[in-house]
Amino acid sequence: MELELGLALPIHNPIKGFEIDDYLNKCHKVGLMPAMSGGGGCNLESSTRSRSSSSSSNVKNKRSFDEAFGEMEEASTHTLPLLLWNGQPNEEDDRKGHKPYSQPTNKNYNEDRDLIVGWPPIKSSRKKMLHGGEQVEINDEANYNNNYRVKNNNNKIGGSKSMYVKVKMEGVGIVRKIDMKLYHSYHALKSTLITMFSKYQRCNQNGASNYTLTYQDKEGDWLLATDVPWQTFIESVQRLKIRRSWEDWFKK
Amino acid sequence: MLKMANSFPEEVLEHVFSFIQSDKDRNSISMVCKSWYEIERWCRRRIFVGNCYAVSPRMVIRRFPEVRSIELKGKPHFADFKLVPEGWGGYVYPWIVAMAVAYPWLEEIRLKRMVVTDESLELIAKSFKNFKVLVLSSCEGFSTDGLAAIAANCRNLRELDLWESEVDDLSGHWLSHFPDTYTSLVSLNISCLGSEVSFSALERLVGRCPNLRSLRLNPAVPLERLANLLRQAPQLVELGTGTCLAELKPDVFSNLAGAFSGCKELKSLSGFWEVVPAYLPAVYSICPGLTSLNLSYASIQSPDLIKLVSQCQNLQRLWVLDYIEDVGLDALAASCKDLRELRVFPSDPFGLEPNVALTEQGLVSVSEGCPKLHSVLYFCRQMSNAALLTIARNQPNFTCFRLCIIEPRTPDYLTLQPLDVGFGAIVEHCKDLQRLSVSGLLTDRVFEYIGTYGKKLEMLSLAFAGDGDLGLHHVLSGCENLRKLEIRDCPFGDKALLDNAAKLETMRSLWMSSCSVSYGACKLLGQKMPRLNVEVIDERGPPDSRPESCPVEKLYIYRSIAGPRIDMPGFVWMMDEDSALRLS
Repeated sequence: MELELGLALPIHNPIKGFEIDDYLNKCHKVGLMPAMSGGGGCNLESSTRSRSSSSSSNVKNKRSFDEAFGEMEEASTHTLPLLLWNGQPNEEDDRKGHKPYSQPTNKNYNEDRDLIVGWPPIKSSRKKMLHGGEQVEINDEANYNNNYRVKNNNNKIGGSKSMYVKVKMEGVGIVRKIDMKLYHSYHALKSTLITMFSKYQRCNQNGASNYTLTYQDKEGDWLLATDVPWQTFIESVQRLKIRRSWEDWFKK
Repeated sequence: MLKMANSFPEEVLEHVFSFIQSDKDRNSISMVCKSWYEIERWCRRRIFVGNCYAVSPRMVIRRFPEVRSIELKGKPHFADFKLVPEGWGGYVYPWIVAMAVAYPWLEEIRLKRMVVTDESLELIAKSFKNFKVLVLSSCEGFSTDGLAAIAANCRNLRELDLWESEVDDLSGHWLSHFPDTYTSLVSLNISCLGSEVSFSALERLVGRCPNLRSLRLNPAVPLERLANLLRQAPQLVELGTGTCLAELKPDVFSNLAGAFSGCKELKSLSGFWEVVPAYLPAVYSICPGLTSLNLSYASIQSPDLIKLVSQCQNLQRLWVLDYIEDVGLDALAASCKDLRELRVFPSDPFGLEPNVALTEQGLVSVSEGCPKLHSVLYFCRQMSNAALLTIARNQPNFTCFRLCIIEPRTPDYLTLQPLDVGFGAIVEHCKDLQRLSVSGLLTDRVFEYIGTYGKKLEMLSLAFAGDGDLGLHHVLSGCENLRKLEIRDCPFGDKALLDNAAKLETMRSLWMSSCSVSYGACKLLGQKMPRLNVEVIDERGPPDSRPESCPVEKLYIYRSIAGPRIDMPGFVWMMDEDSALRLS
């Protein structure tokens, strides 16, 4: 199954403007050679070392690099043999146990979470359906910015068929998202929300009066929902929060 | 024995072969001897081409002159998630042109992830006199004008399925192009269409086709119209509803409930866009007969889902949003003992915090309660090795296990360890696993497990996993039956790929994007492996303008007996022998 191409590849240099000589010098100074790096490894020197040690001790099942590709190393210092890694498959037998787990070297995901195209893996048709057809085209990275999520959550009113807003209840860890277009009165909305949250918290389902519905409008101000007519409310609501009672609300 | 077989007249063998349906068996037959090869090729009626660039239409036609049904697939699977740039290819037109001449009696065309132009549809409509089935799954490039041509000309059309295709909606009147004398429709799926269709044309069509069994409508069909359609087609087996958004009116409700109760044959329900929960009880009467329920577009909350699912005791397949939550999956596990396939999709995939109480526990419950479960697609935000171990032990029957933990590189939330052991348990216990997608924090160790145990694995999807080449090496050298491998954002590089180059010839395709494969390695591979098409996809410009050691953006490798394709856009470079020589 293994294919022997017997050809040398140029040194794989994952970082632009990165000088291999500098790199090797540094490695010498520090006295430390990287193991297989995520980038594919430009550890030319380390191979020589691992070779000298491996040929004497731990390679039993595999041909050593010397036998297979020895002649190529001499050919040029600017090419790299194809077979060059520390973690040979059969080495597992020799090493006792596995190497300790180390954090992946790739860039921190959280920093650029918003830039990952195609993740999570959801079909674009499904995304359109979920967001009432107002999905921001995330394929276009140039136009893409950190406002994406804000745009996505500030659902439009009117034309769109559904309108999702986030709802939080004081003291409950989970934030829910509901479609405001499914409700036509404060009463229906409030009783649904209280039922929805009642399973997380002991709250009296009948005592709707113990809870106050507040909302954030387009300016970012938090207001009492029942102070305005339903239509005005539905046109400006961005987020919902259920607070425990009037008293608590005024204390804050 | 051999002598006797040889003495059979060709007609007898042909008749015997006609009972053999599976593609694999037909392929085996054709390899027995030259005469079997000859007989088999003349009586092959159905062909499946898993990659439209793996073979040319001319070659297919030359070998199989009497084909009636063809299935073709185009773009790589990752095109579903926008990872394949627009304009990459997958055009069906050259196939239609060739078949229009060679196969005038072609009856069925099934396409997946292909670009289908109106011109192609018009050519289909006028070329094949006895055309019966057109299935366009996840296709694009055509409009309702093309569909109108199909409707107007294909008098014997039985099935028109536009499953998740992107159709340019020019006019809802294309449905009225079905002639008044047309009555042969069995299955119609227009659920992907965005705009309104002509309701009167739809109602007339449904009314005059007595054999209609499957009708999947689009969101533009309002609730008020549904009852009427159902009353005209009580024989329906499969129904996709339109939008169910309407204020609850008792008369509308009772009309709908009555119409549903008349559909005694219904086995499959989908749709329910924007459903108002109060309308759900209208379908309760048919729930005991349902085997398939797709609510993955319905934002129904857990309490209503529980009521609904508890009525569907014969359910075999459920697609649902994560609104079902752990409690809903508990209820599912308790009431649906025949469940075989479960898909749970995220309702808020881009949110940072969880919006529902759906965890690994829901999947554990279902794996405990549903002994026949063999296929799972599950999106969630937390997972543990312990849960995966329990799932694997509960359910060694999995053939398809796709788990997506939404945040990449999420560790076991209990131990903060990688999920290697958990996924390892899945491949170890589920001996028949054919399809696997892994996610969460994973090191090379998981690939050692996959390579060791995943002997029947045919398709594997990897993302944000592994430490280096060793991981890919384990997979390519260990998974004997691997046909499709797709990888994104994994630190796999040249060595593992070049080492296992021969393996690639046994596979249908390999996709790698944002990995560490250098341009030099791609060139080498293209040069050394003439039967592989090695495509470098790079939207930054010509890859030879950068150092050869520079990793390529995207790489798509597939075997082909047709040679390099000729329809490549500007951002695709084929690493064939010529280009390798030219560039080196």
